[in-house]
Order: sequence, then structure tokens, then C-alpha cells
Amino acid sequence: MKLYKKEGNIVQILSLPNETVEKGDYLLVEDVEAGRSLIVQVIDVQFASIPGVLEELLRSLPDGGELIQGEDVDPLEIAPHITYIQDASLLFCKIRATVENENLSPSSSWLPSRSRSTIKKLPLPTLLKLAKINGKLPIILGGTKDASLLTIDASSLDGRLNIITGKKETGKSHLSKLLMVNLVGYKATVVVFDLNGEYISLGMTADGKRNACFDKIRVLTPSQNFKLALKQLNLHVLLGILIHALHLPGTSAREFRHIWQSLKERGNITLHELGETIRNWNCNQQVRDALFSRYHALVNSGFFTDNVAEATLLEECLLKAREEGGAIVINLRNTSSIDRQIVVEYVLGKLVESLTSWTLKAVFLFAEEAHLYLRETYWDDIVTRMRHFGIFTTFITNQPDTIRENIYRQADNIFLFNFTNEHDLDVVSRAARVDAETVRSIARDLPPHHCLVLGKVVRDFPMVARVRALDVKTMGETRLFFKDMN
Amino acid sequence: MDTTLPQQFTELSLQSLKRVQNQSFQLNQHSFQQINSFEEHSQSLSLRLEPIPLKPIRKENIVAAVDSSTMKIGETTQGIVIAVRGASVWKQSKNYRYIRLGPFIFHLTEENKREVYNALEKAYFTSLPDQNHQSAPNLLQMPMRIASLLERWMQMMLSKTINKGIILFDGSLTSGTADMPVGRMKQILGTARKRGNIVLAFSKMTNLRVNGYLITDLLPEDTPPYLLETEGLKLKPPMVLLGDVYVARLTKGNCAFRLDIDREVPIEQKIEAVEKLLGNDLLTQSYPETLRLAHILCTFTANEVLAMQHFITRRHGLQIINRPDMHRLLFGPFGKGESWS
Repeated sequence: MKLYKKEGNIVQILSLPNETVEKGDYLLVEDVEAGRSLIVQVIDVQFASIPGVLEELLRSLPDGGELIQGEDVDPLEIAPHITYIQDASLLFCKIRATVENENLSPSSSWLPSRSRSTIKKLPLPTLLKLAKINGKLPIILGGTKDASLLTIDASSLDGRLNIITGKKETGKSHLSKLLMVNLVGYKATVVVFDLNGEYISLGMTADGKRNACFDKIRVLTPSQNFKLALKQLNLHVLLGILIHALHLPGTSAREFRHIWQSLKERGNITLHELGETIRNWNCNQQVRDALFSRYHALVNSGFFTDNVAEATLLEECLLKAREEGGAIVINLRNTSSIDRQIVVEYVLGKLVESLTSWTLKAVFLFAEEAHLYLRETYWDDIVTRMRHFGIFTTFITNQPDTIRENIYRQADNIFLFNFTNEHDLDVVSRAARVDAETVRSIARDLPPHHCLVLGKVVRDFPMVARVRALDVKTMGETRLFFKDMN
Repeated sequence: MDTTLPQQFTELSLQSLKRVQNQSFQLNQHSFQQINSFEEHSQSLSLRLEPIPLKPIRKENIVAAVDSSTMKIGETTQGIVIAVRGASVWKQSKNYRYIRLGPFIFHLTEENKREVYNALEKAYFTSLPDQNHQSAPNLLQMPMRIASLLERWMQMMLSKTINKGIILFDGSLTSGTADMPVGRMKQILGTARKRGNIVLAFSKMTNLRVNGYLITDLLPEDTPPYLLETEGLKLKPPMVLLGDVYVARLTKGNCAFRLDIDREVPIEQKIEAVEKLLGNDLLTQSYPETLRLAHILCTFTANEVLAMQHFITRRHGLQIINRPDMHRLLFGPFGKGESWS
């Protein structure tokens, strides 16, 4: 390989066919005299512009577009040299760092010698070692192309905002399960908003047996094993549900506050009493109607009960998870859009409450297709305010444009699976820790289950890994009409 | 078709390259055009402007063509490194087929040029050329001479192997030059005739003029295809014209070429041969496709030149040197590069 050109932070390297280099590979451009080396990553492979190639190709197809038949007597065997030159490729590489005395710096301000520099492939284990991508809490993400393991440190997810995105069926949920299981293994508290019931068997092996984290997984299905008694609720949590999930206007919310005080004074906070109080409350008819419609929404959700024994205390689950680590899976499958928002509003309100009072230290929140249940104002809340409380969110989506641009800008880690759609790639490339060329070029060619890891977990050295298999029962499979027929 | 490997060519090529081991090597390339450097006296030349009309004869006949090319691919301290390649193309049963010989790479020096040239002459034509010709030309003429030698050998092979076909040569049938001794051309044409073949030689360029105009520009308005006959062309000895010279306008458009047809063939057969060519080959801009393909297949592309340079530097351990271009050095942007011719 030979250094050919440098433009900005992209170097072009000429590579001959026997040097097998692919997109995503790292190369070390070593200038011994300068005592420095460049670490570059191949982001695109193109044919080198060899003079005469067009003539060569045209010559082989002169007979009406079909190959002309003939015999080449080539006693000196020049033909292999011709194809060798013809197949030369030009590697477009992004400069990632400079190595000087085994120290890495992000500088690309110097130019290695074109004639003296030697270029060789940089094995991923060497890069991981140089970049110090290891740590005390390893999470093995999977295997890299050169058969080494890509291991990240769980602490690099701590306090971070993460995005897992990619086309359908590329392995996003699988990766999020892998991260969850490992975080739980390190005694972290994990909360999952499970839209399709994909995580409910996280505690089971593929053949249906209990796995190591069986006891640490708690699945809460709203209106089944996840119900709330009104008297266990704080007013501000309930007001949060009414205002944000059920869009109760401000005047009505003020009246509700009075109603709640009245119920509390009477010591009789039940659904039935709440309904009766609203009915008999001396207020404007429109306010009463507004309160009644929200009351019926709460009743119809089935999420609330007057039977305290039937109610589940989320706080208890969180406290249990705090001790030994655990995941609380909020199963939102078969839950209507309004109910989903009620549940999410409650869970988030409860989490903030627990974190504010230091009952909980921190929570890793995994949110699948969050746009389907997260209210507008929560997006900013999650990346700014809630992060300071200790909610570290991982968004999982196959529609990257449903996540706001400011979330991408503040994302610390992005786990990117295959995308072919230009628009999707454009959206993802807005992330601050990513350069657009890398995303566009590498993500487009990722095979299923291969993930481009970007951000702090890999110290800003984008790496591709095949996400390792996980012995967890697969759920959330798409129901198929022709399944039995095949 | 005789496909015997030109063994001597290969051996001499390899032998010459052995001498080049571990020398320094200046990469520069220069292609050579086959241009007739001799002057044909055309004061007495006249052109009969009454066209000979042609009708394509569709009866199947083989059409074959030969061409060769050569290129200098670099210099050593002792001489030059050249590549030579030849191609024969023939059309039979509506399909084109080809045999391509080479590239052969030669390292030519003042010391070995005579040896190489004479050895090739002897190997292919069993005799040295006419005594009145310089048997080994100067170094700069060597690439063209070696390419000519290969081309003549391939022409001879076609003449020997094809029956009742049309054989197309690139250039004229003028002989008596260093590249084309009279005896050798007579031998090729005679061999072709014996097997019922007729040789048609197309010149892409001509310097023959009538009243100051190039003969290929004096085209009557008649609908092509047709031939215009020339008369009175005389050559200065020792050059001999072994063909009758025509202007061939074979398709619509303003392209016409000088066409030499074996003089020993009766006029009817000459015209019939061109008509068979019309009926059996594609013609674009009055030029036969078979000959065009032969030219395309033997020409070196830039990629091939790179590959040959790669071959000799790798296989023979040449050290590449970058000798400055004196034109560039002295005249800067006004220096257009060194020229060979």
C-alpha cells in the first residue's frame, strides 16, 4: 500500500489486489523518521483511476457487446500483471488519531512522508489496546472481522445517552438485550419500555429454561400484574398523568387539586369516591366534563384499582433491583396509545421521584420506539434534566427520524445497524460524535447482525462487530399468515 | 490457422531481458506509428475519375487481417526497453476470432541490436534480407523494425493457412524498403495467391497527390461503394510497387482510403475481392471491421504499459530512476516533453 493523497482529514491510499482491505478496517501509516504514525480507517474502497482501463474494457467487448473469441499467446505472462494493475484500488481513509510514543492524540495536522511511510493493517486488538478500550466491567459485544472480540466497558454506558438504530430485523433488540443482561449482571437497575413484548422472556434461555438472570427480571404488564391503587399515588404523579398523558387543561387541573385535597382529608381516596366527588363538585360544567372524561380514561385503562392487595408497588421492584441489580420490563404490548402514555408517565414520574429522594442511585432506561409513548417535552427532559437525576437512556428505533435532532447531537454512543435509505443515514449522521462519511459509507454495507459502534464506548474509533448470540428466548416475532404452510 | 508459437521471439525477448538485471530504469513511454517514411513520386500519377461500381458478394468468404504495434516502455543506461505485439483477426461464419501474439519485451542495446534483429530475420524468413539493406538499423528504428518483422511473419502465416480468402494488410504494398524487402513481400503475396487468397492493403494515410490534391480527397459524387483507379505511379529504385493502387470509397460519407491490390491478380478478381469484402465484413467509414479489430487488439493501452513496467521491474529487478525531462527542465511549462521522432 502507498500513500497517495491527503485532503482534509481523508487520506487516499493505493492498494494492490493482494492486499485485502475492506471498509471499516484500520490502517497504520507509519513514518519512522518522523517518529509518528497515523491511525486511519477505511471508509470507502474504489477502483484506482488507472489510465487505459476504459480502452481495455471496450476492447474486450467489440463484437456487438459480446466477448470476442480468441487466443492470447502471452509467453512472458504479462496478462496477470495487467489484471493486477487493473484491479488496484484506492482506499479512502478517515484519519482517526496520531500515535506518538504509544500515546494517542486526535491530531491530523501533520503529513506523513509519501515515499517513506509504510502502511499496514492495524489489528483491532492492537487498536483496542492502544485506545485503552477495556476496563473493569467488560461487555463482549461480539466478534470483529479479524476474529477478535470487541469488548466495551459497562462504565462507558454510565451517565450516557445511547441510540440503537437500524433497519427492521437487523438485530437492534438483540443488542439491547445483550446490553441489558450485562448491565444487570453488574448489578445495575434497568427499566425497559417494551413495546412489543420482546423482553418479557429475558430471564429464559432459548429452550425455555430459566437463565442466570431469571430472578432479576420482573415483567410488569399494565392492568394485569401492574396496577396502581389511587391512595398509593402522589398528587404530582397523578397530575402528571392527567396533564401530560390525558392533556387536562390548567383550570381543570387546579380543580382536580382541590378535589384530591378533599378526598385526602376524608381519607377516602378510591376510584369510586373520586368519580362521585367530581360528579358533586361545585364547579363550572365544562371543567366537570373535562375532569369526568379523564376520570373515565383512568378507569377504562384498567391500570388503577381500589384493591390495595392487587396493586403492585413499582418502588418495591426498583428497590429490589437496587440491591442485586435487575431489570423491570414494562410490557406495553396490547396496550392502547392513551394507556401507554399513562403508564409511561407514571413510571417516569416515579423514577424521578425515587432518584430525587436518592432511594435509587441511577437507572438505565431502554426505550423502544419512544415516539409512540413519549410526550414532546420529555425528549429534552431525558437528555438534560433526567440525566442529572440518574436516568441514562438508550433509545431503540428503526425510524431514526422519530428521534429529535438534539438527541442525536447529545448522544454519547450510537450503535448503528444497516440502513440503505439515504434519508435515514442523513438523520443519523447529524450525531455530534459521528462523521457523516463514515456513517453513509459503512452503515449502508453492514450485513444483518453487524453493528457499527460509534462514540465513547469505543473512544471515538468507529468499529464494526457482529453482535454475539445470546441464549435468550426470542419473543416479539412477527405473526405470519403463511408460517404453517411453509 | 497456424498457431505455432513464435519461439524464437520469446527466447530472444527473454535473453535480452536477462542482460537488464539490476540496472537502473527510466520509465517513459513512446508509441510508434507505422508511417511510410519513403517518398513515392507522384508527378506522373493520374486518377481515373470514372468510378468502378461495386456490388457486395454475399457468398461466404473468410476475411482476415493482421496488424502489429510497438512501444518504448523505458530506458536503461545501455539502451531501450520496447514491447511488441501482433494480432490476426478473421471473420468466419459471422463471428470474429483472433490470435494475439505478445507482448514480447526486448531490451535493445547497441551491442545486441544486430544479434537480435538478424536472429529474428533468420528464424522467420530463413534468410537475411537483401544485401543492399542495412541488416540492423539504428537503435531508434529498431522498435518499428521488430514490429514489422512480427507483422510480416503473421502475414505469411495467414497467407499459408487461409484458402480462397481475403487478406487485409495495414499499409501499402510498396516494397524495397528496410522494413519490407521486395523478395519477402513477393514471397508473401505469392504464397497467398497459390492458395487462392487475395491481399488487399489499406493505408490509413497517403501522401499520393494528383494536381496537388490528395487522391483520397478527389471523390466523385457517385453513390458508394466504388473504386477509383490510379495510373502512372512510379517509385524511385530500389522501391517497387507490388500492387495496383486504387482509392476505395466503400461506404457513404467522405472517408476513402488508398487501397493496394496484388498486381499479379487479374483485374476482375481484384474487383471481385473487394466485392467479397463488402459482402462478408462490416464496413464503417469505408474501413473494414476485421482490420480495425486487428489494430485495436494489438495496440497497447496505458494500463498495459504500466503492467509491463511492473513486470520488468519485479521480474528483472530493475531500479526505477527518474531522469528529468530536459524540455521541462529548460523550458518549464513551454517544454512539451521529449520527443523521439
